[in-house]
Amino acid sequence: MEKGLVMEPEKFHETFLRLEAEVQKVIVGHNDVIRKVLIAFFAGGHVLLEGVPGLGKTLLVKSLSHALGMTFKRIQFTPDLMPSDIVGTEVLAESSGRREFQFKKGPIFAHVVLADEINRATPKTQSAVLEAMEEKQVTVFGESHVLESPFMVLATQNPIELEGTYPLPEAQLDRFFFKLLVGPPAPAELREILKRTTGTETGNATKVLPEDGGNLVNEMQQLLRQVMIAPPIEDYVVRLVHATQANDHNGAPSSPSVKQYIRFGSSPRGAQSLILGAKGNALVEGRVHVSYEDVEKVIFPALRHRIILNFQAEAENVAADQIVAEIVKQVTRN
Amino acid sequence: MQISTRPQDLEPPVRLVKDVADRLRRHALWDSLAVIFPPVLALIYGAVTLYRAAMVNDSAFFFAVVIAAGGGLLGVVLRFRSRIPSLPSAARLIDQKSGAKDRFLTLATIDPAGYLPSIFARLRLETFDFVERIDLPRDFPLKLKRSRWWLFLGSILIATLIHFLLPLAGPMIHVVPVQQRIRQLANEMSQRTGLKGLAHQLRMLAAKLEDPNVPRENKQAMSEDIQKEIEKQQAKEEQKDNRDLLGQAASTLKGLEEQQSSEGQEQRTDQEKGGGGIQSNLPQDGQGEGKQSQGSGGEGKKDSNAQLSKATHQDKTAQGEPKEPGQDQNQKHQGDTKGNQPDQSQPGKNQDDQKTGKDQGGSREGAGKNQASDEPPQGTPPTERFYKAGEGKAGLKDPRYVTVQLPEDITAESRGEGMVAKGSKGNRVGAKVPVSNVPLPAQIPNSPTEKQQLPIEYRGIIR
Repeated sequence: MEKGLVMEPEKFHETFLRLEAEVQKVIVGHNDVIRKVLIAFFAGGHVLLEGVPGLGKTLLVKSLSHALGMTFKRIQFTPDLMPSDIVGTEVLAESSGRREFQFKKGPIFAHVVLADEINRATPKTQSAVLEAMEEKQVTVFGESHVLESPFMVLATQNPIELEGTYPLPEAQLDRFFFKLLVGPPAPAELREILKRTTGTETGNATKVLPEDGGNLVNEMQQLLRQVMIAPPIEDYVVRLVHATQANDHNGAPSSPSVKQYIRFGSSPRGAQSLILGAKGNALVEGRVHVSYEDVEKVIFPALRHRIILNFQAEAENVAADQIVAEIVKQVTRN
Repeated sequence: MQISTRPQDLEPPVRLVKDVADRLRRHALWDSLAVIFPPVLALIYGAVTLYRAAMVNDSAFFFAVVIAAGGGLLGVVLRFRSRIPSLPSAARLIDQKSGAKDRFLTLATIDPAGYLPSIFARLRLETFDFVERIDLPRDFPLKLKRSRWWLFLGSILIATLIHFLLPLAGPMIHVVPVQQRIRQLANEMSQRTGLKGLAHQLRMLAAKLEDPNVPRENKQAMSEDIQKEIEKQQAKEEQKDNRDLLGQAASTLKGLEEQQSSEGQEQRTDQEKGGGGIQSNLPQDGQGEGKQSQGSGGEGKKDSNAQLSKATHQDKTAQGEPKEPGQDQNQKHQGDTKGNQPDQSQPGKNQDDQKTGKDQGGSREGAGKNQASDEPPQGTPPTERFYKAGEGKAGLKDPRYVTVQLPEDITAESRGEGMVAKGSKGNRVGAKVPVSNVPLPAQIPNSPTEKQQLPIEYRGIIR
């Protein structure tokens, strides 16, 4: 293999498809969600899953972790959850005849962490997770503890039970790579779900990656970043993100709906998510270069949670996806 | 899988992108030419047509052609430059045609230094397969939009209209004044050997044309003389440029001549239409007696009245006291005619007197006529002014009649002479329509007579 090339693109493609297939053995439907979660994983990002209870969000994450062969921890967020319940704390322990404080790692110290109903915990507790997401380390009593790599947080939100919840602030929403909407299954999918879950045989995902799965994942993540992207397509991404700004200080006109409904546009993280997500999508399709279609396939999960709508949009029930769709129509390819 | 990095395998995709870009550049040039040139050529043709018709001078023609040609070139350059396809746009078109999913675009725009060579080589190898799907003439043909064809046809139509309609619309178009054109020609001729004399004459002609005091006949005569000189010079001129210049001068003078003759004809028509029912008994510039005064208006009529008054005075002196109304009409008529006729006892004197009088009158008449010919009659026709209340064209109240002796051939006799001519006894030809009241020789036996209504103008003068 050529020096510098960590992995053959074909191997990435093959491994990816195997992981995807393995998860699809357990999860019925949601193929696009599965693919996007995997892309986000190999892009080094975190995912926010939003959907009503009972759609298999937790099962999806568990299956993914099983397929990856990586440690998995689930954190059920409640209003009384404390930060130390997540990151860990120091406890007084006795060893070798001596008593000393030892750091007890919290559930955050896993490769794949499921933060279930993250919007039910207090902001203080949320911030503990969010710091770990960004920094890949936690600080307890002044001491930093690095999290294992690869590290991915999949947080879930329930869009219907908002009473007594603490919606994630915009600054913290921005830290999620993708926000995926998990919808209800189709009738055929529901039949399959029932068949799988109410019978005698229940499937579980098996490990796909080899023993050195960690190294393999790291190589796949590095290869993803080596995918080529043409300057005109990069410029296209820039213009897409720039089009989400309601108050353009550079003098470029915004579309009427952007001006009318958006309070704050996407941050540069949105452009990063777009490009990395497009690169991942290109590799999944067996290419080593990004195309315009790759960008358009990942734009909704990348931007829908980064556009802050104003009160008028909420009053008129305008969703962020509508704004993003209009922006895609408005911004032309080079 | 090993990725080939042989140079010969890496060239075709890049070469294809460049070929497509060149092809699209040529298409853009043809498109720009198709948009700009037809109207520009139509404009230039219009300018040439105007120049040939002597409606614009040399400098205006040159200026127009330069502006049109320069503007056309500039338009082509600007339009072409704005439509020059870039390599990325050509690559995108190839991607669309071949389904390469932006491989050609990435290959044409990416900087290989920022990526691994193997990855770049893999991209090129993948792109190689798509090169075979492209056929340049089929996938990138030269297609002129339908609007270009309409533009081309429209320009031809405009040029055709200019070619056929401009000569018809020429008189309605404001042209360079003739005097100015003659001066331009004179200036050009003065710079050529052998034509300086003609140039001087043309300048003099232009000065005369601008002088309103110079009679039209003088201008016309001078123009004709110069035309003859030009024709002579043209016949012996060897240089083509000089012949062309002389030709332009000849055509300009011909146009001037036509213009002047049409103006003269209009004036004559106006004079004939003008005046009233007054019939002058004096010859007018060789046109013979019996011609109505041409637009004589007040002055001519005054002269006629003066003559009539004079005649009336002569009548009174000859007849003594004025006749009573109830007297014999013949006597009255004789008296009238006597008064109006010269005294045969002193034919010479009378002739001289009358001639003098007529000359004077003629001069006055002539002056009046000249004035009349220059000025159109003002006001209502003279005849209508003599109508009394209740009278009109339908008839007069209490009209009076006289018996007149019909003259012989008046026209030939009265041309150039102040007197009525002869009435030879043997050759009296009764004119069917009396055209004047020229004094006739007295006592012509067996002369035809006719009863005519007394002209309204004499009502109150002749009793």
